[in-house]
Amino acid sequence: MRKAHRAASVIAAFCGSIFLLFLVAPIARLIGAGGVDGLRHLTTDGELRNALALTALTATSATALAILGGTPLAYLLERRHFRGRALVAALIDLPLLVPHPVAGIALLLVLGRQSLVGGTLLDLGIRVVGSPIGIVCAMLFVSAPLYVSATREAFARVDTRYEAVARSLGDPAWRAFRRVTLPLSARGLIAAGVVAWARAVSEFGAIVILTYNPKVASVLSYDRFTSFGLDEALPVAAVLALLAFVPLFALRGLRASRSGAMMLQ
Amino acid sequence: MIEVEGLNARVGEFELRDVSFAVPDGKYGVVIGAAGSGKTTLLETIAGIIPLTSGAVRLSGSDMAGVSPERRNAGIVYQHGYLFPHLSVQDNVRYGAIDVAYADAVAARLGASELYAREVRGLSGGERQLVAIARALAPQPRVLLLDEPFSALDPRRRTLVRRAVRQIAHERWITVLQVTHDFTEAGLLGDVAILIDQGRVLQHGPPEQLFREPASPYVAEFLGAENVFAGEVRYLSDAAPDFLEGAEELLAGGHHAIEFVSGGLTLYTVGDAPPGAGHAVIRAEEVLVSTAPMSSSARNQFSGVVSEVATTGALTRVTVDVSSGAAGVIAPRVPIVASLTTRSAQELALREGSEVWASFKAMAVHLC
Repeated sequence: MRKAHRAASVIAAFCGSIFLLFLVAPIARLIGAGGVDGLRHLTTDGELRNALALTALTATSATALAILGGTPLAYLLERRHFRGRALVAALIDLPLLVPHPVAGIALLLVLGRQSLVGGTLLDLGIRVVGSPIGIVCAMLFVSAPLYVSATREAFARVDTRYEAVARSLGDPAWRAFRRVTLPLSARGLIAAGVVAWARAVSEFGAIVILTYNPKVASVLSYDRFTSFGLDEALPVAAVLALLAFVPLFALRGLRASRSGAMMLQ
Repeated sequence: MIEVEGLNARVGEFELRDVSFAVPDGKYGVVIGAAGSGKTTLLETIAGIIPLTSGAVRLSGSDMAGVSPERRNAGIVYQHGYLFPHLSVQDNVRYGAIDVAYADAVAARLGASELYAREVRGLSGGERQLVAIARALAPQPRVLLLDEPFSALDPRRRTLVRRAVRQIAHERWITVLQVTHDFTEAGLLGDVAILIDQGRVLQHGPPEQLFREPASPYVAEFLGAENVFAGEVRYLSDAAPDFLEGAEELLAGGHHAIEFVSGGLTLYTVGDAPPGAGHAVIRAEEVLVSTAPMSSSARNQFSGVVSEVATTGALTRVTVDVSSGAAGVIAPRVPIVASLTTRSAQELALREGSEVWASFKAMAVHLC
């Protein structure tokens, strides 16, 4: 029995190692091949710097919008029982299931010049397609479902009885949310924001259809690859891969502080 | 005053059904019931946290229909305290306080102000309960809803805090409704006791009445009555037997002299139970144990053999297997449990196999 258990553990460890290698090796190879060159390019390559700045700006804007719209929605879905709640929750997840170029085409149909919304906005002097606004829209479309899902989970971790106690102590619903629910779910909400931001930064498929120019970093790496080949694309791709470590470490830090707090409880 | 009338509420699959009772202004109500019987749901419905589907909740005479929890002036304390972990102990106590000095004074009376410098996460279960009670009292509520608030306190502190809460409620004319599993606590604190099971109120009234006159065998057993017998109620043809001396008023009020037959046991009592199948309840503390027949007024007297002696501190439970079968007839023995002071049990030198007499007055037998 013990031998069989040990054999199963060895097989599981072997399979797990292969799987981990599959996930990590390409990124490691990419950073190894172009990481140093990519960091050097940051000082010399203006287009790369602009693309990174645009990526950071648009991803941050998309995350801010996801927080503004997604937080109340996540709270309602988690705390209120209303007719059609399951349907709304399913609809929010829909963008996650659509291939990203398809998402781009769908957004183009709604926000393009020929569409009612896009045409009206254009009449008001607001261009969506081919502008940073289009990039923000594409990023928001693909990252908001992740934000809402993670935020729901963060609210779910806060026992409703904390709010009940706050209400019984004289707080109206909004004040109880601000004074109790929000601080208690803060780590989860920040983590949700980081996940949404990371997803926005890594988006390519929807952006490339909605706004090829100005280029965000992911589009720039694709453009360099198709126009100049692997050698030119490598530094850009490596910098993007290095950028992924920022949210990765942020999430790790949040998790560490949460488990530290839980150990104290 | 807490008035609940025909209250129905639903949480998932669980339902509170047709719940009605009242706790007068400034009085202390206790809700007793098994786990999952709906005690906490009842408190939350009164607090406005769970909406009621029908019926009415009135607090101090005002109908609470459509009144949000924060406008009910009803504090709630959960068993686990639910202290806000991101705030200090002091900030927890003062969270809803109108008058900070009053909040601190209440905390001091409960012993919670000693914990002001501590982290919430470092508090024990009992300390959390102390702070939670102080926090609920700080806004000077007119109604206090307590869900097993003393369960994590050590016995000494439990007595002190129980007394302090009772005093504060009395001084501030706060109506309290407390959930408890502890029958002693219910008896000590309660002006009104409400027994709830599966979302329904089985019986309510003064705790003494619930304990002495349970409405059903289930209530009797739930409230810890050790001697519950199923049998048959028969009216005695002698309208005024000797054991009813001094109970003429009862007989005039429509009661009957009754013989209750349960297996090998025949009990005598007085009551208004209809003839036929029924139950007799005798609380263990009403049963006297002696080594010789007693010449007292106890009409129900049986010889028997001690089958178990269980000492729990100051009290000892003695089980006597008795029979009232006629001479020459082998009747099955019936266990009767008596509760004696341990000193009495020692004086009688009771042990398994001791031959004793168990007796109780006719008025100690409650029929339901």
